[in-house]
Amino acid sequence: MGRTLRALAVLVAAVLVACVPLVVTSPFYLQIYTFAGLNALVVVGLALLFGYAGQISLGHAAFVGIGAYTCAYCTVTLHLPWLVAIVAAGALSGAGGLILALPSLRLKGHYLAMATLGFGQLMSLVFVEAVGVTGGVNGRGGIPFPSLGPVVLRSAASLFWLVWAFVAVAVIVAYNLTSARPGRAMRAVHGSELGAQASGVDIVSVKVRTFVLSALLAGLSGALYAGVVGFVSPSSFTLTTSIGFVAMTVLGGSGSLTGPLAAAVLLTFVQYLDSLIPGLPQAAASKLQTYQQDIYGLAIVLVVVLAPRGLAGAWRRRRKGVGTA
Amino acid sequence: MTELLQFLIAGLKNGAIYSLVALGFTMVYAATGAINFAQGQFFMLGGMLGAAFVGAGLPLPLAALAAVLATALIGAVFELVAVRPIGDGDPLRIIMVTIGGSVLFSQLALHVFGPDTRSLTTFTAGPSLKVLGAAVERQTIWIWCLTALAVAGLALLYRRTMFGRAMRATSLHRDAARLVGINARAMVTASFALAAALGAVAGLAVAPLTQTSFQVGSGVAVKGFAAAILGGLGDPAAAVAGGLVLGILESLTAGYIDPTYKDGVALIILLLVLFVRHQGLFGGSGREKV
Repeated sequence: MGRTLRALAVLVAAVLVACVPLVVTSPFYLQIYTFAGLNALVVVGLALLFGYAGQISLGHAAFVGIGAYTCAYCTVTLHLPWLVAIVAAGALSGAGGLILALPSLRLKGHYLAMATLGFGQLMSLVFVEAVGVTGGVNGRGGIPFPSLGPVVLRSAASLFWLVWAFVAVAVIVAYNLTSARPGRAMRAVHGSELGAQASGVDIVSVKVRTFVLSALLAGLSGALYAGVVGFVSPSSFTLTTSIGFVAMTVLGGSGSLTGPLAAAVLLTFVQYLDSLIPGLPQAAASKLQTYQQDIYGLAIVLVVVLAPRGLAGAWRRRRKGVGTA
Repeated sequence: MTELLQFLIAGLKNGAIYSLVALGFTMVYAATGAINFAQGQFFMLGGMLGAAFVGAGLPLPLAALAAVLATALIGAVFELVAVRPIGDGDPLRIIMVTIGGSVLFSQLALHVFGPDTRSLTTFTAGPSLKVLGAAVERQTIWIWCLTALAVAGLALLYRRTMFGRAMRATSLHRDAARLVGINARAMVTASFALAAALGAVAGLAVAPLTQTSFQVGSGVAVKGFAAAILGGLGDPAAAVAGGLVLGILESLTAGYIDPTYKDGVALIILLLVLFVRHQGLFGGSGREKV
């Protein structure tokens, strides 16, 4: 695909997404599409980390949680404006990412996966036990809608636009990173660390920056989530959530942004399949709920074993096949 | 004094369980260079299958044996189906597959056994024993004996049998092992089966004390992994030591500081070891090979 054609496709996709609230008027369905955007925001960061820096995180739900609780604390307890709260949320989760990444990325191998696993579990405990800030198991309610000065975004459509605007900005930033020098450096690190190092790439700093960016995006997603739902509790930020993000990233495929975005939307729909299929009987709906985790686990295993390049790889292969025929 | 002794006994009881799980991590790491995230699920399967077999009418010793063998078989099949196709590939891909596998095992147990917690009867009935004023439950003694037996058996296997030597050779240098005629792929399968069996023994031994359910796996996996990394990944003796140290630290924290922090101990140790001394307490050489 030529450069202009690609730009055109992206523009069309953006316009289509922006038009969703004009077609879908049910606030309930719109919220599901908003949740898809919240997951996509996290997955864009993880796609950079996985596909371009060759690392995985098993604790990104913790960064989402840090963002969500920061937003809740700033708006409810400190009565700060929403804009300040979301900046604080991004900064705090980014800082958390830095503290975690600096020591564990100095080491070769997959220590980051282990460190993020430990960090995620530790934060799960903190969310439950630090009752003064987080409200403990009961969580925190009464979080105000996002607002920009006097404008309060309370309709489902405006929240949808807000979240997907964040996704759009994240994708643009990520795309510019990957197509410019930092992206080439990231790909080089994934290809061969030694080779990249020999070519003058500071691999540790590339990996650390990628991780911090992904943590920051996760924090923003959490802060947005708090504003959209108005309530946060520890059960939203567990290992299961983190594994869900990993499933989306892996299914999407490495070295691509479109693939993981599509996978994030797809697997979010799986989560709400019971309510997305109209006229589904109650029994079948609850059956689907119990098999939700199976789909995540199966997606990871099947993609890693059979199609390590994920959705993006399958798409590329198909196009190549058509071209040579 | 009695109080301290009581805490130490509790710590060594949990520590023995962590040791067995940590040994499983160590074996798969030695064979593949990857962390097997499904290790905790083997612990879960041991307890759940044991309870199911007892429920089906088997006497306890037979049910326990069947559960260990079945879990070992599941471990071997998992390796053949999901890990072997990856070949000598990226450890990252093996890690990912075991993450997915871990989710699937836990879900499978949910679908087959249901969401309820299950329990086993203690292996021998009777009151606790008194040691210097501290109480030791009979099941705790079983846990220690089974752990000692497993460790001794493993040591014998590794040092005295041809099969064990082949496994050690494979973990030292896979290609060199192949050159002298060792079937390296089979050794990886064997390491998964053995790791699964160790996990199952741990899950069975502790089930009468703590109950078990389809979701106990990932919590135990984190503890066992913390123990393995505290000792120094890749060394069986260090894994056992790491498990016992972790158990004692947890128990002392719960006893003298606050039970709330008990589960945090393993996580903080895990992070501290990774950050400060990633070769573990007992690991020697330090820097990774380039």
